[in-house]
Amino acid sequence: MFSTGFKYFFGVTVLSVVALIISLAFFDKLALAGVAISFLIGVGALLAGIAAATSDGTTRDANLDTTETTTQSMWPLVTGIGVVFVVLGLVTSSIVTFGGVVVLLAALSEWMVQAWSERASTDSSFNFSVRKRLLNPIEFPVLAAVGLGVVIFMFSRIMLSVDKATGAVLFIVAGALVLVAGALFAARPNMKRSVGASICVLGALGIGAGGIAGAVSGERKDLVEAAAEGHFTHAECGPEKSKYFDKGSEETLSLRSSALATVTYRDGELFVNIQGLKAEQKTLTVPRSNPSNIIFRNETEGKFRLVAHLGGKKDATDKSHSDETCTQLVEFGAEQSLTLNIPKSSGPDNTYYLFIAGAEEKQIAVVVP
Amino acid sequence: MLNKRRFAIVSSIGISALLTGCATNAPQDTWQPKGPNSKLIDDLQQPVFAVAGVIGLIVAVAVTYTIIKYRDRGQPIPEQIHGKPALEITLTIIPALILAVVAVFTFGAIFKLAKTDDTEMIINVTGQQWWWEYDYPVQNEYGITQPIITSGQLVMPVGTKVLLRETSRDVIHSYWIPALNGKRDAVPGRVHTLRLEADEPGIYAGQCTEFCGLSHANMRMEAVALSKEDFAKWVANQQAPYVSPAAGTLAKQGEEVFLNQCVRCHQVNGLTRADGTPAIAAPDENVWSGAAPNLSYFMTRNTFAGAMFDLLSKQCRDEVWNAPSDKIGAKYLEGVTEDCLNQKDLRAWLRNAPEVKPMYANPENLAVSNGKYRGMPYLALSEDDISKLVAYLITLK
Repeated sequence: MFSTGFKYFFGVTVLSVVALIISLAFFDKLALAGVAISFLIGVGALLAGIAAATSDGTTRDANLDTTETTTQSMWPLVTGIGVVFVVLGLVTSSIVTFGGVVVLLAALSEWMVQAWSERASTDSSFNFSVRKRLLNPIEFPVLAAVGLGVVIFMFSRIMLSVDKATGAVLFIVAGALVLVAGALFAARPNMKRSVGASICVLGALGIGAGGIAGAVSGERKDLVEAAAEGHFTHAECGPEKSKYFDKGSEETLSLRSSALATVTYRDGELFVNIQGLKAEQKTLTVPRSNPSNIIFRNETEGKFRLVAHLGGKKDATDKSHSDETCTQLVEFGAEQSLTLNIPKSSGPDNTYYLFIAGAEEKQIAVVVP
Repeated sequence: MLNKRRFAIVSSIGISALLTGCATNAPQDTWQPKGPNSKLIDDLQQPVFAVAGVIGLIVAVAVTYTIIKYRDRGQPIPEQIHGKPALEITLTIIPALILAVVAVFTFGAIFKLAKTDDTEMIINVTGQQWWWEYDYPVQNEYGITQPIITSGQLVMPVGTKVLLRETSRDVIHSYWIPALNGKRDAVPGRVHTLRLEADEPGIYAGQCTEFCGLSHANMRMEAVALSKEDFAKWVANQQAPYVSPAAGTLAKQGEEVFLNQCVRCHQVNGLTRADGTPAIAAPDENVWSGAAPNLSYFMTRNTFAGAMFDLLSKQCRDEVWNAPSDKIGAKYLEGVTEDCLNQKDLRAWLRNAPEVKPMYANPENLAVSNGKYRGMPYLALSEDDISKLVAYLITLK
């Protein structure tokens, strides 16, 4: 009376409803889980309805002999691997668990659809077409995305391991090869599939091997040292000490229209330009508790950084106990933004000012009303 | 009979709507510009409105005539024609030309309103739920030698091109004083500019025009335009040193209550604790937006709680608002005297602020805002403490 597909999806729907009821009963904040389960209920009910209405889509085309045409399946094995990864991840890393869950879900889905399709009729070619019809629209995009992700990841390993100049050459070469391959495919539409596949496989293998080699050799020296020196956390606000710190500070800005002020270091002196005021200022008023962008422009020969002193005091040995934030080193003629967020009003205990690293006597008073 | 009744209802609604245009007490009337920027907008909208009105009237009459004349009376469907290039092109070109002419003047007005290079004074405006803060950066030519901070009422000199630099601390708000210019959004992380200039001394009302939460409708503002002489007096007063109430007075006790309760969020410049250390407010630790109104010179303002309530009693308020142009400055600079204080609303606010102004200040819901209030919370002050606080606040002039 009820088709196999209907029974299956009906079961999924009922189980999802039970899961939702249990979740509602035991968890206060459902949010994403609640939406996901509700979605599953909707999808399950829809598919159950379709399966019931079409009798699993088998009645019109299929030979309905009751003999089953089951084949060997790799999915139990893959499911087992997924379970192992899930368990392994519990004692190693959450990423492994996450990977295991993904493998498990994919394997279970494939396994279920395969099992269902093999019972659709006694005609194995028809069964195979049923499976393809259902899964190919999902499999192809997913596999393409995964493949693309792998290629991008491998290519990134290569680019991070070689020096900048080599990286640029590699990028040009890789781009040129893709262009040549594309042109070849376009020019020879009747090319043997095996030749096309071989070119693609060779390209993928090349990038894969290069990526593995790059990952094994590690990131290039300056990136490693810059990370060790706090380049990425921007920890240093003093005069320049590092060989790698501040490499490639940005020289263009897109927040020009939303800047509170422009601070210029010109001929060894600091000035503030505030939109609407014609004269250059020596005081900057910053609203409290509100992130405010300022632009630092260096018009003095050399590289300088602007430091914002945001409270605290320095002891006798000049060991800094103050809160500071700063720009990177900015070359002559270049500019960079700095965002200030000062929660407390100025006062005798809260003195704020801007200065040039290494030349602290050049100051701009920051007043927070 | 039924048709007559329907006609009467529709007519009543229409006439009522029409009569609202005759209101005299309409401080936010967009058709009464009081400054060059709003006049620029008015000069544009008057002819555009006239042209659009005439076109709208022609269309409405034509549609009504067609509906009545050709209504279904069982007659056969007339011949259907398709395609009349000459007519279609004409009916496309005419509106395009009208819009092109309107666009030329509109772009001209937009560029004029966006100018900043002729600014004579800048004021930073920061919106947050549900009040506006104004800070005046140092501008020596106006006697502003240290930043001035105030809220609720923007004070500006007449005949001066003021540039507001707007931003927001929490959500998007929109600043609008209809008599002085159009509206401009205040967006977190961005600085938007708005020109203001008033021709004559006066108080001009405005309203936040971007829905910003529970008390959006209560987020009001007033621009007070003073003559240059009166503005200089106001500036001088806003920079006067803090004077603590005399020992043994009720106001002095109020200062202690303020130090124990209010200074957690509200700053009064110059106020010190018993040990002589400056009392610095920490609204960033208690309020979602990170700011609460600075109450220095509180009684020089005429409003509080985001300009929702008047600090002046009705009679005193009317005396200020209805004062002639040459007298309004002097009346405004008197500030709030004890006789004129609107004690009822101020005490109600201190007693239980969330009760009189809708705010997300329920202590039970603080988990969603990291323990911080949106707006002023209920402080469980005793009536005695409220009296002391009122006595103290009245000294802040």
